[in-house]
Amino acid sequence: MALATAQAGHMPQLPDVRRILADSRLYWLVLPAFVFFLIFFVIPTVSLFLISFDKSVAGVVDIQWDFTLKNYIRFFNRSLYYEAAIRSIGLAAIVSVVTLALGYPLAYFVAKTRHPGRNTFYMILVLSAMQLDMVIRLFGLMVLMGDNGVINGILRDIGAIREPLPLMYNFFGAVVGLVQFTLPFMVLSLIGIIRSIHPSLEEAARSLGANRWTTFWRITFPLSMPGILAGTLLVFAISISSYVVPALMGGWKVIVMPLHIYQQIAEMGKWQFGATIAVVLFVTSMIAVYIYQRFAARTAGGRA
Amino acid sequence: MAEMVTDTGPAPRNGGWRPFGRRNGPREEPAVALPLQIGAWLAFVVLLLPVVIVVLAGLNSGDHLTWPPEGLSLRWIFAFFEASEFLDAYVFSLWLAVVVMVISTTLGTMAAIFLTRMTFPGRNLLRAYFLSPLILPGIVLGLALYVFYVSSGIGLSRTLPGLIIGHVLVTAPYVIGTVSAALFNFDIALEEAARSLGAGPFTAFRKVTLPIIGPGVAAGAIFAFIVSFGQFDVSLFLSTPNYTPLPIALYISLRYTFEPTAAAAGIFAIALVVISMLLTSRLINIRRFAGIKFS
Repeated sequence: MALATAQAGHMPQLPDVRRILADSRLYWLVLPAFVFFLIFFVIPTVSLFLISFDKSVAGVVDIQWDFTLKNYIRFFNRSLYYEAAIRSIGLAAIVSVVTLALGYPLAYFVAKTRHPGRNTFYMILVLSAMQLDMVIRLFGLMVLMGDNGVINGILRDIGAIREPLPLMYNFFGAVVGLVQFTLPFMVLSLIGIIRSIHPSLEEAARSLGANRWTTFWRITFPLSMPGILAGTLLVFAISISSYVVPALMGGWKVIVMPLHIYQQIAEMGKWQFGATIAVVLFVTSMIAVYIYQRFAARTAGGRA
Repeated sequence: MAEMVTDTGPAPRNGGWRPFGRRNGPREEPAVALPLQIGAWLAFVVLLLPVVIVVLAGLNSGDHLTWPPEGLSLRWIFAFFEASEFLDAYVFSLWLAVVVMVISTTLGTMAAIFLTRMTFPGRNLLRAYFLSPLILPGIVLGLALYVFYVSSGIGLSRTLPGLIIGHVLVTAPYVIGTVSAALFNFDIALEEAARSLGAGPFTAFRKVTLPIIGPGVAAGAIFAFIVSFGQFDVSLFLSTPNYTPLPIALYISLRYTFEPTAAAAGIFAIALVVISMLLTSRLINIRRFAGIKFS
């Protein structure tokens, strides 16, 4: 204690210490991560972009420095490929809408749960569902939705159907799988914003004579618009780039862009064209982000 | 794709989280209207039913989980432990996740200290630089690395270090995010006091700063671990028959059949994820975890 008091006399030296802390030696802290990202993130993505413009030669990976637009022309001229792009966008858009419709009530419910223990419990459920490997969840979904699966089994037992309903290995299955995949992301983007809406706003609407339904649609829902926009955008971006869900739940009948990428590389050895599809996939999701943010700036009224 | 906005402030001790103040008087109606409640429970079913089904399939006594179920048994759990490709994949994924966690936490914590201590013009740009691997779809990132490994001839294609590098790229941003948030709430005067009392920079950090930001670092480490453990997209192009993580092994088997030992492996993966999230909830206030924002 006496030591501490004695040392307090040194306090005026503080700016000096601050200078030492901000010493250039601090740069050594960021250097490893910076170099790591430069070598293994920047260089690979830039070279992937470059080879997507390179002359297409099956089995050749190296950059040949023979740039052309042929790969992109091929992509937009073959219905096989541009239809996959349209299918990807359509699938992701449908999934975004369904996930919002399903995720909003859950987010609202969790946000309005005041009991701290129960609230934490719901958050752990949502976070665990999000962090669990998607392939494991797909196992569950496929056992549930197959022709001899649990749902068809129950329906057959109660005599509702004779022939099994085609629940998966089709577009419907891919939608269900992606909704299951993206639901936690939607819920987490919504909870924060719903929680931040002050209840006095809802109470004011109620006291002015609005019923619950009107209050929800006129007050709560519009005020949660920034979360809705962020959530649907995130869900769209995750859905459009998912490989494993369309591959398993679509049964190779719902051919989207990520499946084409894998086929071009792993099965045909067409590196340049695979890179082209990857670039188209990335640019498509970036365009979606851009359009959405333009739209969001107008609707969210500065809350985004 | 997204930046998780995390608040790594300490978990509330008293549990007295009152977002909107206290309400007076008896409540005449439930906090959530009935249609929304029904919707919420439906969403919970969609979220959790597949997980429950995996557990049931792993504990099922029949060869396949069909309706009606045949009864419970531990035979698939034993089969999983005896000799299955999934046990190898599970152990490999565990090992991989630990290695990735150590590398990502070290690199990420160091970078986060720099990002929060230094003020310079390009700081936000540098932050965006470290978060950018999450913007790229995982499959595109995996492909870019694979092409880079093969074309540059640096000997990383189809190797274990090559796979680890891919996982570090998608986990380090989470560490940087959580540790930055923890450091943001940290009062630098405490470390300066230790320095002015004669502690060296490393000692001051280890004895003063690290214990305080520790929960944030630990939460970031757990996130890195669990993201690596469940990583599919990046592993798709980078894994090899010798080094097959669990998600890839499960995917390969699921293409053809529903292997009950795969469900048994799933049960242990579920347990791992739930334990990780429980740990995280002890370390940081996960109720503030809401809000995922595009960077």
